[in-house]
Amino acid sequence: MKKNITVIAISIVLSAGLTFAGDMARSITLPDIKVELKAGAGKDKVETLCNICHSTDYITTQPPLSKAQWTANVNKMIKVFGAPIKEEDPGKIIDYLTVQYGSGK
Amino acid sequence: MKEDFSRREFIKTAGVITAMAALGDMPSSLFGSELPMATYPEKTGLLVLTSRPPQLETPMHLFTELITPNNALFVRWHLANIPLSVDLNEWRLKVGGNTGKELSLSMADLKKFEKISYTAVLQCAGNGRSFFEPRVPGGQWKNGAMGNITWTGARLRDILNTAGLKPGSVDVMFNGLDSGSLPSVPDFKKSLPVDKTLEEDIMVAYEMNGEPLTMLNGFPARIIVPGWYGTYWVKALSDITVLGKPFEEFWMKPAYRIPDNPCGCIPSGTTQGRTVPINRMTTRSLIITPSPDTTIQKNKPVEIMGVAFSGGYGIRDVIVSTDGGKTWSEARLGQDKGKYSWIQFSHSWRPLKTGKYTLMAKATNSIGDSQPFEKLWNPSGYLLNNVEKTEINVI
Repeated sequence: MKKNITVIAISIVLSAGLTFAGDMARSITLPDIKVELKAGAGKDKVETLCNICHSTDYITTQPPLSKAQWTANVNKMIKVFGAPIKEEDPGKIIDYLTVQYGSGK
Repeated sequence: MKEDFSRREFIKTAGVITAMAALGDMPSSLFGSELPMATYPEKTGLLVLTSRPPQLETPMHLFTELITPNNALFVRWHLANIPLSVDLNEWRLKVGGNTGKELSLSMADLKKFEKISYTAVLQCAGNGRSFFEPRVPGGQWKNGAMGNITWTGARLRDILNTAGLKPGSVDVMFNGLDSGSLPSVPDFKKSLPVDKTLEEDIMVAYEMNGEPLTMLNGFPARIIVPGWYGTYWVKALSDITVLGKPFEEFWMKPAYRIPDNPCGCIPSGTTQGRTVPINRMTTRSLIITPSPDTTIQKNKPVEIMGVAFSGGYGIRDVIVSTDGGKTWSEARLGQDKGKYSWIQFSHSWRPLKTGKYTLMAKATNSIGDSQPFEKLWNPSGYLLNNVEKTEINVI
């Protein structure tokens, strides 16, 4: 399965001889990197809720995890980080992660 | 410090002027070497573990130099709202809590403290996590969450002494300009025991390799705890708070902890009991060239080169094997930039037969700590430092 990732990288252009020393203000713009999750039941919920706090490459770059590991992670997001996930949704999110990004255990 | 308005405006604009777009077709499984690469501001192409907040890894081939260029140093933030704009007219480093007085230091004030400088390895606590067996959740770094930088700044001790530590001080807490997207997200705050903060070499750095810090590496100032993992090197520093009791918020407890035993490890796949905050780095050596799976010619001379470092004790020797650990030779060591720096090692070799070879390197630091042949394990993926194997082909 292939996916498309669009990488738009913004780079600061420095004219020759320009140095940062003495600069009072600095600002940067981050590249806009799109992450495509695997299709499957629960994908919309995962995209909406997980993206509140972090990009979903936090999911796609994980090794295959067991249902217990995905459950622990989702519970940490709710209990420690206060993710606003309604009572009926953690199960759907855990199922999606276990099916699409699970180790089969 | 004199302000240069035209330059300031230029910098503000330049940051958003230019965009270059690249379209990549990436495999859905982003494990191993298949991470996308992107060019972030002030950075060369780095591997993207995560994009928001950014966690960017340095490709191994960029470690051929003694000093890691600023644009190649890895990036690791914890919370979504990272500082994208800092105006030194506004920025102040606040020092307070259990102190005689409160300080509000501008960059000019910070630069009035005695300037100190040294070269030190910055390494993420989870560097090498993707090599754990069994695998563990968390940022799946290979070995590129490290770099060797010359840091310059003020001694933390001098700042604390100016504020005046009151009796009963226990921990010193550091906070930066980053924050989570929700108020419920624990702010990224770290602490050190007060005795540690009074050591001579703990620094509030405002320069890396003679330049201001890059935005993604913590402009305008960050804590440097040489020899200890990067988790304490709080970026975009805004507050130093002296506390009369132990600091135990999320990022100190339960995050960033290791098993409370000499190896910081437990049997693979088991549950850890008592823990302590992660601290000093383990001793490591990494072969940079030849890179894994390189094909080289029989009878041609090859330089096996790499870097070695330890948790602030310097490196006594590095030994190299070209036969999978059966025989070893002492490597030559390069320029010594001090006990916190990595040292380059090299070993001249001429393979006489064709076939597969396993190259290995093993470093020992000045107090005799070395590297295990077997990988250690803990559930958070920290402290990895086994002797690594580089497989190459000779034809």
